[in-house]
Amino acid sequence: MNEIEEKLWNYIDGFCTEEEQKTISQRIEKDENYRRKYAELLAFQENINAIDLEEPSMGFTFKVMENIRSEQARVPLKTHINHRIIGVIAAFFIFSILLLLGYIFANISWSHAVAIKLPQINLPAVNSYLNPVVIKGFLFFDVVLGLFFLDHYFRKWFFEKK
Amino acid sequence: MQKELSDIELIKQVLAGHQSAYADLVKRHQRYVFTLAIRFVKNRENAEEVAQDCFVKAYKALGSFQQQSKFSTWLYTIVYTTSMTFLRKKKLNTYSIDDDAVFMEVKNQTEFKTDQTEQKSQTFYINLAISKLLPDDAAIMTLFYQGEQSLEEIAAVMEMETNTVKVKLHRARHRLKEKLESLLKEEVRELL
Repeated sequence: MNEIEEKLWNYIDGFCTEEEQKTISQRIEKDENYRRKYAELLAFQENINAIDLEEPSMGFTFKVMENIRSEQARVPLKTHINHRIIGVIAAFFIFSILLLLGYIFANISWSHAVAIKLPQINLPAVNSYLNPVVIKGFLFFDVVLGLFFLDHYFRKWFFEKK
Repeated sequence: MQKELSDIELIKQVLAGHQSAYADLVKRHQRYVFTLAIRFVKNRENAEEVAQDCFVKAYKALGSFQQQSKFSTWLYTIVYTTSMTFLRKKKLNTYSIDDDAVFMEVKNQTEFKTDQTEQKSQTFYINLAISKLLPDDAAIMTLFYQGEQSLEEIAAVMEMETNTVKVKLHRARHRLKEKLESLLKEEVRELL
């Protein structure tokens, strides 16, 4: 590409300084070669500007929106975390803990300040509930839960490997 | 008459949960995105696939759009990276995007309208010549003239220096002129 052409393109695009702009416009006025080239480049630019953009298919927008909908449907459940539910669960546990602490502090005998004694809490007799059927049931539930997580782990591992 | 919402206003609506606002954004930018994709992948079917993919990606990343640049510039960056990934995956005539000596041939000329009157028009020949340019050159021309992007914006889209874009724009125009002249010579020869 010759120098004149490059200068003229800079002039047309507005990339040159004020001083350069003055010099080039003077040359265009005086120099026939410059004038001819300038007219040629302007015509070329007009033709490029006249190019129409390509048109995608009729249902393009619909297809995009469908793709977005199907992508959203494919998002795993774990990414859809409802923070309100988490908040409610957290509030329940905090309330339970505070209630339990309140109960404990209310039942502590503070009069014996000389020696530190553990508070006497009257817990229900748990031993009466721990019969062999309950223990077997508890163990069975643990085994099922263990198998479920093992299956989940192997599936994940298998798909990652695949 | 209802006032047309700006890109930023539409994005705010989408982020507020109004998915239908995104359809308006797609309608507004689909022709630019599709044209740019064609410049890279040189095929209508593939370009449509790339363009759709770009809009889905843009939707997913809309929350990360910082609004420091125009939405169109941000979108064209996605088009550029998606097209490059597509070309790498498809291994379509692998070439270096910096290698200016390599020219990609258009294999499927049928994608251009073969209407006789249009064949004679300058627009047809310019389109044909652009399709024969290197993807980078064609994309720079499209971004500069049709996309109305500044040199700085094009540089941001194509991850290049502004000066490199300027030089490439000059070269692309020069090559386009050469291609156009050679095409028109061929046409004259055919007519004779």
